[in-house]
Amino acid sequence: MADKDLKGILSKLQYSDDAKVVQQITEQTRKVQERMAGIRHKLVVMSGKGGVGKSMTTVNLALALARMGHRVGLLDVDLNGPCVPRMLGMHGQTLTITPEGAVPPVGPLGVKVGSMDFFLHAASPVRWKGPMDLSPVWLGVMEMNVIREFLADVIWGELDYLLADLPPGAAADKPPVMAGFIPDLAGAIVVTTPSEVASDVVQKSVTYARDMGIRVLGMVENMSRYRCPSCGAEHELFEGDTEAMCEALDVPLLGRIPFDRTLARTFDKGVPLLDEAYPTLRRYREIAERVHALLDYKKVLAEKL
Amino acid sequence: MKFVCLNCETYMSFEKVEKPAEGSLGVFFGCPSCGAKFSMVTNPGETQMVSSLGVQLGGRTAAAEPFEMTRGTLKEEAQAGAGQMAAYLNEKIQAGQSAGPATAAHSAPTAQKKEGEKSGGGCPFSAMVAQMGLTTSGSEAPGGATFKSEMTWSADAKERLERLPAFVKPMVQSSIEAYARKQGYSTITLQVMDDSKNESNGVVWSPEAEKRLENIPDFIRPMARREIERMAKERGATTITAQVMDEAKEKFMKFM
Repeated sequence: MADKDLKGILSKLQYSDDAKVVQQITEQTRKVQERMAGIRHKLVVMSGKGGVGKSMTTVNLALALARMGHRVGLLDVDLNGPCVPRMLGMHGQTLTITPEGAVPPVGPLGVKVGSMDFFLHAASPVRWKGPMDLSPVWLGVMEMNVIREFLADVIWGELDYLLADLPPGAAADKPPVMAGFIPDLAGAIVVTTPSEVASDVVQKSVTYARDMGIRVLGMVENMSRYRCPSCGAEHELFEGDTEAMCEALDVPLLGRIPFDRTLARTFDKGVPLLDEAYPTLRRYREIAERVHALLDYKKVLAEKL
Repeated sequence: MKFVCLNCETYMSFEKVEKPAEGSLGVFFGCPSCGAKFSMVTNPGETQMVSSLGVQLGGRTAAAEPFEMTRGTLKEEAQAGAGQMAAYLNEKIQAGQSAGPATAAHSAPTAQKKEGEKSGGGCPFSAMVAQMGLTTSGSEAPGGATFKSEMTWSADAKERLERLPAFVKPMVQSSIEAYARKQGYSTITLQVMDDSKNESNGVVWSPEAEKRLENIPDFIRPMARREIERMAKERGATTITAQVMDEAKEKFMKFM
C-alpha cells in the first residue's frame, strides 16, 4: 500500500465535485453578477489612510449625484465601524428580508443604503459566532463573504451609481478584493488630506490599486482648509501638497473640501444638511460632476479633442 | 477536498455530514468500489472555515436565504472572554503539545528592547530617523543625506528634484531613473527629466498634439493621454501627431 503511486492513480481518475462546494461558490458569483448587472457605474471610495474622511466624502458624493438626478446606492463596507446610517439619520433601520432578497432602507434624496449597522443593536460591536477571535484568516474569509452577501443579496435594483465606502486596512475589504467581487468596477476615488503623512500612505495605495488593475479616477483632498463657522473665512489646516502628489501619480485632483464644522455637525447628529446652495455642498457637487464626466470621458474627448 | 481509496484506486464518494459535537463536523465518505467507509472530523477552526465560505457540504436542499451567512454567524449579544478556538488550543496545550514557540515569543521583546536601548540612545526612532537623513522635524537633513542613487545626477537636475515635496521625491526619482535605465543613460540631466515626463510607454507627443490635448479639461487629461497612447500603440505608432489625434477623435465620436 505504501508503494502506491498517488500521482499515477490521480492521473487516471475523473474529479467530481460531489460535496458541491465549487458549484455553490460558482452560484454565489453568479448571484453577485446578476445583482450588479442593473448598476451602471460601480465605484469604490478608498484611501489607505484612516481618518481622512472617506465616509463623509462618500456620503456627500452620493447625495450630490442623487441631487443631479441619478439613482444612487451606497454600500458601507466598513463592517466593523459602520457609520453611514448614523450620518444619514438612518441608524436603527433594518434591511427587510424577503424571498427575493433584502430590501435596503432608503435615505435622504432616495439613496439606497446597505450597511452592517442595520444588523447591529445600538452600541453593539460586530461579534461573530465561532472561533473568530484567534484567527485573522477565518475572519478575513468571513468578512469577504459578508461583503459578497451585501452585493448579491441586497435588492439594489436599477441604479446609475453604487458607491462603496471602503475602510482602511483589513484584508477582506481591500480594493483588489472588492474589485474581484464587483464586476465591471468603474474605478476608485481616492481621499486624502494635505498632510504629508496621509499623502505618503495614500500614494502607496494608489500604486497598489493600479497594480491590481483598478482605474484610479482621481483624488479628493479633504480637510484642505478650515471653514470658520462664525464668519465663513477659510484657513490652512495642514502644510502638505496634494497637487504635487497628484502630478507625480498622474491622477487628477477632483476637488478640495474644507473642514466644515457646521456641515460635520449635521452629519454627526444624523440630520444631514441638504441645501445645495451651501458652499461646501457646492464643492461636492463639482466633484460629483467631474466624476460623472470622467466616466463619460470618451464623449468629452469626442467633443473637445 | 477529496479522498482516494488506495486499494481500489478511486475517489471516495461524499456521503453525508453530521454534527458530532458543537463546533465540529463529521464528513463521511465511502469507496464506491469496496464499500470502505471513512469519516473526517473537523476541529472548530476547520468547521468555521467551511461556514465562512457560505457553502453547505453536499449541496443545498433549499436556496440560500438573503444574508443567510451574515445573520447565521453574527452574535446577537456581546460575550466576554475567549471563544471556542481558545478553548480548543488550551486543551491541546494542556494535553502536552509543544509550548516552545510561546516561550520564544516571550523572550524576544526583552532582547529587542536591549538592542533598541543600545542604538537608540533614548528615543527608539532616533537611529532610524538618523539613517533616513531626516531631522526630528521631518525635513531633510542639510546636505541631502537621503539622496542615494546608482546614477549620476547633474547639479541642476538634482536641484530640481530637491525642490519637490519630500514625500513624492522617492517615487519621482525612481520613475526618472527607470526611464533613464531603459534609454541607456547613466547621467540624469534636466533634459532626461523632461523627456521622462513627456515620454510614457515609449510614445512621444508632438507639440501640436500636446496643444490639442490642452483642450481637454485638466481632470480628464491624464486619462485622455493614456487612452490616446494606448490607441497609438495598438496601431503601431510611436509618436502622437495631429493625424493620430484626428483618428482618436473619430474613434471617440462613435461613443456619442
